[in-house]
Amino acid sequence: MANVSQSSLLREFAPQIERTSIVQTLWILLLVGIIGLGFYALYIQISQGHIVTGMRDNVVWGIYIVNFIFFMGISYAGALISGTLHLFRAEWRKPIIRIAEFMTIIALLIGPCYILLCIGRLDRLYYLVIHGRIQSPITWDVIAISTDIFGCLIFLYLAILRDIAAIRDFQSLRIPSWKRKLYSFLALGYTGTPEQQKRLHKATDIMAAMVIAIAVIVYSVLAWIFSVTLQPGWHSTIFGPYFVIAAVFSGCGVMIVVMWLFRKIYHLEKFITRKHFVNVGVLMLILSALFGYFTFSDYLTKWYGSEKNDELLIRLLFDEYYWLFILSNYIGVLMPMIVVGIPKLRTISNITISAIVVILALWVNRYLIVVPTLESPYLPIQDARPAWVFYNATWVEWALTAAGIAFFALLMTIGSKFIPIVNVSEMEDKPVPEEELLA
Amino acid sequence: MRNPVSIRCIWLTSISLCLFLYSFAQGDPSASEPAEPGLSLIPLYTSNDTVLVTTTISLRKGREWLHLQNAVISFSVSDGKNIVRKIGEGSSDSAGTVTLAIPLYPPLPQDAQGMIRYVADFAGAAGYAPVSESFSSKPAWLKVSFYEEDSIRYIRITGTQHSRDNKMAPIPGETVNLFVPSLFRPLPIGEISLDDQGTGTMEFPSSLIGDSLGNITVIARIDEHELFGFVTGQAQINWAIPKHLLAQEKPTRELWTPVAPIWMIITLLIMLTGVWAHYIYAIVQLVRIKTSKKEEKLPETDWSKYS
Repeated sequence: MANVSQSSLLREFAPQIERTSIVQTLWILLLVGIIGLGFYALYIQISQGHIVTGMRDNVVWGIYIVNFIFFMGISYAGALISGTLHLFRAEWRKPIIRIAEFMTIIALLIGPCYILLCIGRLDRLYYLVIHGRIQSPITWDVIAISTDIFGCLIFLYLAILRDIAAIRDFQSLRIPSWKRKLYSFLALGYTGTPEQQKRLHKATDIMAAMVIAIAVIVYSVLAWIFSVTLQPGWHSTIFGPYFVIAAVFSGCGVMIVVMWLFRKIYHLEKFITRKHFVNVGVLMLILSALFGYFTFSDYLTKWYGSEKNDELLIRLLFDEYYWLFILSNYIGVLMPMIVVGIPKLRTISNITISAIVVILALWVNRYLIVVPTLESPYLPIQDARPAWVFYNATWVEWALTAAGIAFFALLMTIGSKFIPIVNVSEMEDKPVPEEELLA
Repeated sequence: MRNPVSIRCIWLTSISLCLFLYSFAQGDPSASEPAEPGLSLIPLYTSNDTVLVTTTISLRKGREWLHLQNAVISFSVSDGKNIVRKIGEGSSDSAGTVTLAIPLYPPLPQDAQGMIRYVADFAGAAGYAPVSESFSSKPAWLKVSFYEEDSIRYIRITGTQHSRDNKMAPIPGETVNLFVPSLFRPLPIGEISLDDQGTGTMEFPSSLIGDSLGNITVIARIDEHELFGFVTGQAQINWAIPKHLLAQEKPTRELWTPVAPIWMIITLLIMLTGVWAHYIYAIVQLVRIKTSKKEEKLPETDWSKYS
């Protein structure tokens, strides 16, 4: 694979950029339809108010915030995988790093939209800027996420610049003239001179480090929104690292599934091999162990402390949410351990299946963090009707959740039709000498 | 089994989704039998010679209580067997609540012990069974007044009960709780034990904060008393500290003050400066990549030689 030339690679990926098959068109239409349903649900929510959702006075956060945490987690995992693998010059990263880069920015654009859906008075959104207080974790989150979006966009641009230039120069590519002009504009006149390579190399290295650091901060800030409150189940000092671990864990799951899908759709079997699945799977295994450790540590200390509200919460989790708790904290942790840990089971299909389970388990994990705690209110709110205390998501919330997933899939599809999903430029790069890496 | 991976994925996803959706699913109560709603009834005697009779009608569905709207509730006074006087009727609001203010003059029928038995009736509707609730209590009043003696301000509470023979008598030996209104629920400021004359006093707390004129409402309550049930009385006085006279403390930088602590601002500035400096560096590199091309004017790559 190291001897594959850039031009032959581009020729191989040309059909995916040049044409959209009927199946792909139908796929895109399906996604657009789901997004359309989401917009209808949004219209209902805006015109009738949040009463159409399951959120009430006590349970003020529902699956919107769960989706927000989930998408931010995917984004963070993408940043960590692409940033770390880039910095460590891991050779095996090359065919999959583009997927990680796309995941990072797309999930980062979708995630915060769910926060907006939680806001009852969107017309007052600018108050966040005008009346924002630095002491508020919400303000930290706004600053952190906007900074992260900007950084990830720069990183993605740096990462795809060489491929854009290669496509611009690939004359036999049959694309409309406007698209060629767009590639020409975005390529910034990059021709691969030594000076340009040096500058691009420096900028990419720095941004790779920055996206990792920023992603850790963003996800920690997200965790602090919960942990700085005194709510049972949230007020925990390990929530920052716990969230970070959970984010990368779920992101690895999404990464494997997306790898599997692109491998099948674009027939990338010779680029994305079992080795890539096993490597990301091993990362998922390590993270599952860490996630299990953090989860156990968190619940053990709460259970052993026997603080009244913590006890109530744990009882609620093991009573009302028993199966979800088992799926989230047992099946989701043990499955990747068994599948990836036992060499005989370590096949592409098994790793993908365990990744699907991990995704579901981690989504449920966020649900169990958010909802049961809010269903155990601290404040003696007057006239706290039971209908306000318990939460059940409505079709509006599910429709908007489906729309977010569809939007993620749509942007990944469109992205793969704009730039080859395998990093063409890096595929022919030679490994960087160790002395240069250390310099 | 041409593509076992896909089939396994679909199976597993379907099973997981079923498990997932099942966990969220709610049980649906049997639709064939009429639902049995619950009714609560609270008569509250107020200081303006009325009794506020409040009832809430609700229905248990799963783990939730749904409040029934537009349910017609009729109120009456009974002697334990028969209705002796109908006192009103009303439809429940979105919270399932109906409240009637009933004057106590002319007096409502009392039993031998002077108790009035209030009854709330829901006659039933399509799909809902009838339900009834009653509550017995003796009419009583709490009067809140204020006086000043030797420059000390006092709150005086006078409790009176209404006997069957239309005579007023003091409420001796009962404990009355005092509150002032606050944001979430009334703020307790103390309790007074009534003497044999049905009277009790307490020094007016000097730290209470009122409105801009110093007005504050003091509320006296007896709750869930075995004889009187719920009794309340209230009065307003301008003895509280006016809001605008509150001493303006020197502005501090705390978690809850409008201005953030210095350490927080410095930390944020350091982090943002560090991050954005790197961003700017990367952008500068991109700009230089673009400008270096103009300087060098290198020929474009000829990919045709590879084809």
